Amino acid sequence: MHKLLRLEYIFNRRQVLIVLAIFTVYFAYLAGRIGSPRLFIIITSLMVGLSIPFVILGREDRFKTAALICSLPVRRSTVVLAKYAASWIAIGLGMGYALLLAAIIPFSKISVGDILTAKALVVSVLLISLFLSVILPFTVRFGLTGIIIFLVGAQLLGILAHVLVQLLGGARNPLRVVFRAAEGGLRLLLTHEGTPGFLLTLLAAAILVNAASLFISRALYARRDL
Amino acid sequence: MEYALEVKALRKEYPGFTLRDVSFALPPGHIMGLIGPNGAGKTTVIKLILNIVRRTSGEIKVFGLDNLAREEEVKSRTGFVLDEPPFYGYLKVDGIASAVAPFYETWDGARFKELCREFELPAARRVNAFSRGMKMKLALAVALSHGAELILLDEPTSGLDPVFRRELLERLSGLIQDDRTSVLFSTHITSDLERVADYITCLREGDLVFSASRDEILEKWAIVKGALELLGGETAKLLQSVIRGPYGFTALTADKEEARRRLAGRGAAIERIRLDDLVFFLGREGRREEEAARE
Repeated sequence: MHKLLRLEYIFNRRQVLIVLAIFTVYFAYLAGRIGSPRLFIIITSLMVGLSIPFVILGREDRFKTAALICSLPVRRSTVVLAKYAASWIAIGLGMGYALLLAAIIPFSKISVGDILTAKALVVSVLLISLFLSVILPFTVRFGLTGIIIFLVGAQLLGILAHVLVQLLGGARNPLRVVFRAAEGGLRLLLTHEGTPGFLLTLLAAAILVNAASLFISRALYARRDL
Repeated sequence: MEYALEVKALRKEYPGFTLRDVSFALPPGHIMGLIGPNGAGKTTVIKLILNIVRRTSGEIKVFGLDNLAREEEVKSRTGFVLDEPPFYGYLKVDGIASAVAPFYETWDGARFKELCREFELPAARRVNAFSRGMKMKLALAVALSHGAELILLDEPTSGLDPVFRRELLERLSGLIQDDRTSVLFSTHITSDLERVADYITCLREGDLVFSASRDEILEKWAIVKGALELLGGETAKLLQSVIRGPYGFTALTADKEEARRRLAGRGAAIERIRLDDLVFFLGREGRREEEAARE
């Protein structure tokens, strides 16, 4: 797999650097505006988690290099595993970079010490995992079109949910119950004491989510005609 | 006999196109040309061998190994050039080589450099500044730099100037001299095949028309020209792709001897066929069948 990671690095390093350069401005702005380390880590996690797979997989689709990669002596399942690993490595580097910025920018309101805790990091990993586990199978299977399908689908679902909430009204309608449950889950994640048992459970959940997503992506990629 | 490539009852279904039960075999140390009109399924066959597209059914064996079950081993011994060489545009020649080389244990960096020099590929220019022909040359340099025993080329000569095209064909002929390396290449330029191919496989609209040695094909197939009166009865079974004109017909036959026996004495001319004519006639017949089906 290291050969594939090396190949992804050679093929994408420039674009990842461009994305990080754009994020420099955004992360610096966030660090100067947001005082909450919790909010900072969530926003940066999601931004990095969204953009890096887009860059790697979207470009592969644009230049049709998937055909080149799959013609090399390597199994498709390994190609998918490498994509997940590359995404996580890029996310790790992106997160590290965001924290570095928050630490060195003079006008930063973020205390990096508050972020560099086991709980904050595990919560970020779980949030990114939830996000990636949905988006990666789409992009692995459908490439650039998959990204667009995902984004448009998410927007439409959001609109539909909003309309349904308005139409159904009342505090007990099923959608509000779902939203409240999600909100409660997120609050629990952020406000929980962070006992070792809790953190291990979160970590296990993150691994499980990634493994399930990888399993689905492998099955989808094996059926993809390039 | 262990073939370099053996395809049995290969089938691939797409919406609107089906490659139907294609079978052929390429012995080691030979060149096979894959011909056929546009949309015949030539690229699909090459992609199926490389497992870039998934087969619906059938079997592909490379050096006696199943191309799916032993995918890595098969691909490490196979070189390829796709019809649209897929390289990231901002990379340079060295970047491409350094990304691809680790996948092949037998990668020969010196040979790659030598080929790039021979192909006059500018090391300092990015791939997006390359013409289609130059990208083809780069893909060829990669394919020929790891001692591949089976080389799959999809339209390798398209976009190449005539001088380099001739050189490439000579190079391919040179490659198989070791009796170990085999080449399968698809092309529209049938004169290339007449120059180098030992075997020819012809596809039309997803069907296998024939797969045989070049000499056998040129021996069996012929062009028949004669008066329109000859077209009736048993003769019709002998002829394909009949073109009727005001003074007579021109048609294809897959049984030259039988056509000669039945028609030569009745004023028909049996002419030696060229691969170019074969593709023209078969392509024309395919279009006519398609139109008839639409009507």
